[in-house]
Amino acid sequence: MQQPQRTASQSLPHPPLPPGWRAQWDPTAGRHAFIEQATGRSQFNFPLSAPLPPPGQGRPLHGHHGARASISGPISSPPIHNSFNGQYRGPPAAGGRTPIPPMQPHPQQQPGQPGQQQQQPQPRSNMPPIPPYGAASATPPIAEHRQSPMQQQPPPPQAGMTSPPPAPRASRRQYAANTAAYIAGDTSGVGAPLTSGHGHSQSQQFFSPASHDPNSQLFTPGGGGAQDFSGGAAAAQGFQQPGIPPYAGGQPGVQGMTNQFGQMGLGGQKQMQVVSSTNLIGLPLNPAEMMSMSPPEIRLPPNASFSQSETRNSDPSYQRSTINAVPTTNSLLTKSKLPLALVITPYRSLKPGDPEVPVVSDTVIARCRRCRTYINPYVTFIEGGQRWKCCMCNLSNEVPQLFDWDQEKNQPADRYLRAELNSSIVEFVAPTEYMVRPPQPPLYIFIIDVSYSAISSGMVATAARTLLESLDRIPNDDSRTKISIIAVDSCLHFFSLPTGATEPSMLVVGDLDDVFLPKPSDILVNLVEAKAAIESLLGRLSDMFKDTHNTGNALGGALQAAFKLVSHVGGKVIALTATLPNVGPGALKNREDSKMLGTAKESTLLQAQTGFYKNFAIECSRSQVSVDMWLFSSAYTDVATLSGLPRYTGGQTYFYPSFNAARSEDALKFAHEFGTVIADPIALEAVMRVRASKGIRMSAFHGNFFVRSTDLLSLAAVPMDQSYAIEIQIEDPISAPFVVFQTAVLHTTCYGERRIRVITTALPTTSSISELYGGVDTIALATLLADKAVERSMQSKLEDARDAVVNKLVDILGTYKATMTSTGSGPSPQLVVSENMKFLPLLMLGLLKHIGLRQSTMIPADLRAYAQALLTTLPSQLLIPYLHPVFYSLHNMPKDCGTIGDQGVVLPAPLPLSAERLERHGLFLIEDGQNIFLWLGRDAVPQLVLDVFDVPSYAELRGGKQTLPVLENAFSQRVNAIIGKVREARRGPYYAHLYVVKEDGEAAMRQWALSLLIEDRMDQLPSYNQWLGQLKDKVNDKSF
Amino acid sequence: MSGEAWLFLTAVIMSAILLFTSVFFIIMFSDLECDYLNPIDLCNKLNQFVLPEMIAHAFMTTLFLLSFQVIAFVLNAPLLAYNVNKVVNRNHMFDATEIFRTLGQHKKESFFKLGFYLVFFFYALYRMILALVAED
Repeated sequence: MQQPQRTASQSLPHPPLPPGWRAQWDPTAGRHAFIEQATGRSQFNFPLSAPLPPPGQGRPLHGHHGARASISGPISSPPIHNSFNGQYRGPPAAGGRTPIPPMQPHPQQQPGQPGQQQQQPQPRSNMPPIPPYGAASATPPIAEHRQSPMQQQPPPPQAGMTSPPPAPRASRRQYAANTAAYIAGDTSGVGAPLTSGHGHSQSQQFFSPASHDPNSQLFTPGGGGAQDFSGGAAAAQGFQQPGIPPYAGGQPGVQGMTNQFGQMGLGGQKQMQVVSSTNLIGLPLNPAEMMSMSPPEIRLPPNASFSQSETRNSDPSYQRSTINAVPTTNSLLTKSKLPLALVITPYRSLKPGDPEVPVVSDTVIARCRRCRTYINPYVTFIEGGQRWKCCMCNLSNEVPQLFDWDQEKNQPADRYLRAELNSSIVEFVAPTEYMVRPPQPPLYIFIIDVSYSAISSGMVATAARTLLESLDRIPNDDSRTKISIIAVDSCLHFFSLPTGATEPSMLVVGDLDDVFLPKPSDILVNLVEAKAAIESLLGRLSDMFKDTHNTGNALGGALQAAFKLVSHVGGKVIALTATLPNVGPGALKNREDSKMLGTAKESTLLQAQTGFYKNFAIECSRSQVSVDMWLFSSAYTDVATLSGLPRYTGGQTYFYPSFNAARSEDALKFAHEFGTVIADPIALEAVMRVRASKGIRMSAFHGNFFVRSTDLLSLAAVPMDQSYAIEIQIEDPISAPFVVFQTAVLHTTCYGERRIRVITTALPTTSSISELYGGVDTIALATLLADKAVERSMQSKLEDARDAVVNKLVDILGTYKATMTSTGSGPSPQLVVSENMKFLPLLMLGLLKHIGLRQSTMIPADLRAYAQALLTTLPSQLLIPYLHPVFYSLHNMPKDCGTIGDQGVVLPAPLPLSAERLERHGLFLIEDGQNIFLWLGRDAVPQLVLDVFDVPSYAELRGGKQTLPVLENAFSQRVNAIIGKVREARRGPYYAHLYVVKEDGEAAMRQWALSLLIEDRMDQLPSYNQWLGQLKDKVNDKSF
Repeated sequence: MSGEAWLFLTAVIMSAILLFTSVFFIIMFSDLECDYLNPIDLCNKLNQFVLPEMIAHAFMTTLFLLSFQVIAFVLNAPLLAYNVNKVVNRNHMFDATEIFRTLGQHKKESFFKLGFYLVFFFYALYRMILALVAED
């Protein structure tokens, strides 16, 4: 940092001085002084007499690499999927590269806001021309700005909040219009008469079963029940704005409300937050409310930041805290029993319309000298903008010389337009000081199991085809990407792909103990140079081994070979295996014993059986090698042991139980997920560190990484959409009115650039316990508790993990009751909790009933281990439906559901997760993000069955994994549209399987689907109402 | 010199060595906390000393048992049992992936061992002198 600054100030190569100024070298100061000839005034700052640049100029550059490379391509997908892509994805223009919404313009630059022009603008627009050493004139604006009574001004953020930035809206409209046009074009020809006829029959048959169906008495518990239901549905409908995408960042409705709060909050310096308590017992919960729930508003003191940009505090999808208020002392935190933690998803895929992460490309990186905090919207500029005061340690630092300089245009720039001062998430392009070595090219090693079961299940063929079709989507902008393919059965098969060759040659190595790499330079080849050979290899890979009877799998040896191949650079190893590794190093035994399931010994099955994978993971992490595990199996694969490798290297585990590519659904799911993951732009050689204000310490870390030092996490690769949780401890009492948390991820992009992604969150501090409870972000809290429960189950027993969840919940509820209600700690017939935490008991019930933790003798260890891996890595957006599935009733959904609305496909109102809602003539959809179940009642009307499944009657319908046909009728298209929307609505590579469940069909399938209805009783596990009763009793029994 | 004096002389030397091992462990742990050392190197280094330390302690305790030094044996038996239990459960080695979570525990354990060896060192010294005096 020092070097370029000094040369810049000595030689002043670029900027010509404005007229009337003269530069003179000042030997005592060691830099140029600038003298205004007219007045004789001198200053060290470069004189900026030029008028302010127009607002657009300061707009940050935008990186191309936040967006997921278009994932549209499920390889060789059957027509149905393609049509979905066409239908619901916008055209490329509206896709990943949407122009980003401009940063919230500064009030003074916005015409038409004359009211603000008097006070606010001064510190900014006037700053540059004022000589910084003329303290008298320079400081007052700042002081004024800091003290300016906010209630006199219309609150600046409002403008931005009520009217969203123009760009995304435009693109959204375009997208909707397009889709609408598509649908219209489609139905106008054939569908018109059909649609109307169907609409009629639907309203008669589906909507009012009680009046039209003679059997109604048999299956609805009394007419009243049916009425109740429709009433409830209507109410729910009114409650929810249809078509709000679940868990989307900022919903207009909620934002409107926070906006109001914001206005209220701005009035007083610190207004007591009103926490409204609710009695949970007997309270009906509306799932739609949970889906659209956003974290409680962060009520910072009005002068916390000079930036009025609405992006100055981080979007909850990148970083959120379990409590949006930080207690000033540790004793307050312990008293409240709430865990304080950050839930971070630094690399998040961007859906069309999401704002991209601004990039600061001029390598001017201002950091605090002492605590190394990056400059952010919460620092304060002092001494007329010459220095800045760190918001964490209060140290005064010098502002870098080129901070106010636009290096591209070679002219002065307004620092207040810089992205790092306006956006809480920003990416810096790092200069060479941040590199240990030049950015390395991305290397991909594919280890493909070619043993008998891998070939016979079609895994190899599907993988090779997917890889072949995705070769062009592997990030390779600068043509440096290298790739290698290793096939493995009981020996290792390397493929030599020398440059220019079109035919690969196979080299077999049988000695697994000390793997020898034949011709390493021909095995690991440049993706562009050796493309012909790679394509030819992938085209033939499955056929080469098609007659194999080899059941061995030397995965350990293959991993070691791959490690040897890339350890000098680092990279990504993607291992696909369909057999339990049984030869050479890392061989595993089939230890599954169904008698152990459901007993205390079960937890041993969830722990690694050998230390090989963990030790190997440590070596990998050291050499920046990340491993992804793709496991396919009909038999036991020991997910628990193998998932240890991705866990410590920043990878991810994917598991396909009883995979068979002959079923097109299996092949499609795998191809979609595999294609997406290898096309994702990944970040390599990453380290992540969270810094926080004085008195705060990071105490525990959860997620897939290796902890390299007390606060430094090392990730060989940062995959997209993976979440990490970091627990926070308060060591010393905090006196500041707000604290700042800053996550920095230093990484190499797959485009050969070293970058630092910085995410800053500011939270107010509080000494009142009610504000703590009022600030709880239930979703972040549930994410953290899921992480902790899984960690607990790995260290001790599943039983302990479940107990820990219950105890934590009882502690929170009990303390809430003791401190926040008039009953105090005495017994009470109510179970009271604050409004923002009302879903917590339900989510925790979902966690206890989740396949990863549930008490059961039926859950295979592999499924459990995989579910646990997901519980610890899924970001909140995917985790919440995974814990609390979404349940729709399709047969009686309102007419606009499944059609295109303002926000894409309109979804029906979600129902509470109880089998009471299931009707014998109905069609329901239950989904948890990983699987979708279409539940069909046994008395389903034949017309419905025909319309949706293209089968004449219920009896002929087959249950199980299916692809739903798209038929020439509106209802089928609407159902398909809803399924498509459900699959696409969330981030992450996952492509949910669709299962058709018949009410009297296969018992296992039915039970599986019903196990997602978590409000019902299940074996020994309580229903939601029983659960509340248990919690109430426990809260009453214990003294707090 | 009598057998007893020899025995306690050995015990003095052994507990001095064990004392130094504990100090070494504590220094290494605080190095890790200050980020002078990465967890992988730390674990590789410390794991070399875990078993020798336990064996040395077990050897000394066995000597006391064989020579019917009841008090000395009783003093050492709990630590021996604790070590054996750790080895049986296979968690005697340091795990680089877990080290930061368990660091507090390891430090506490090392401090306790340090205190114990120190006390035992002086006890053995006292008994050795006692034995030497009794000879005269």
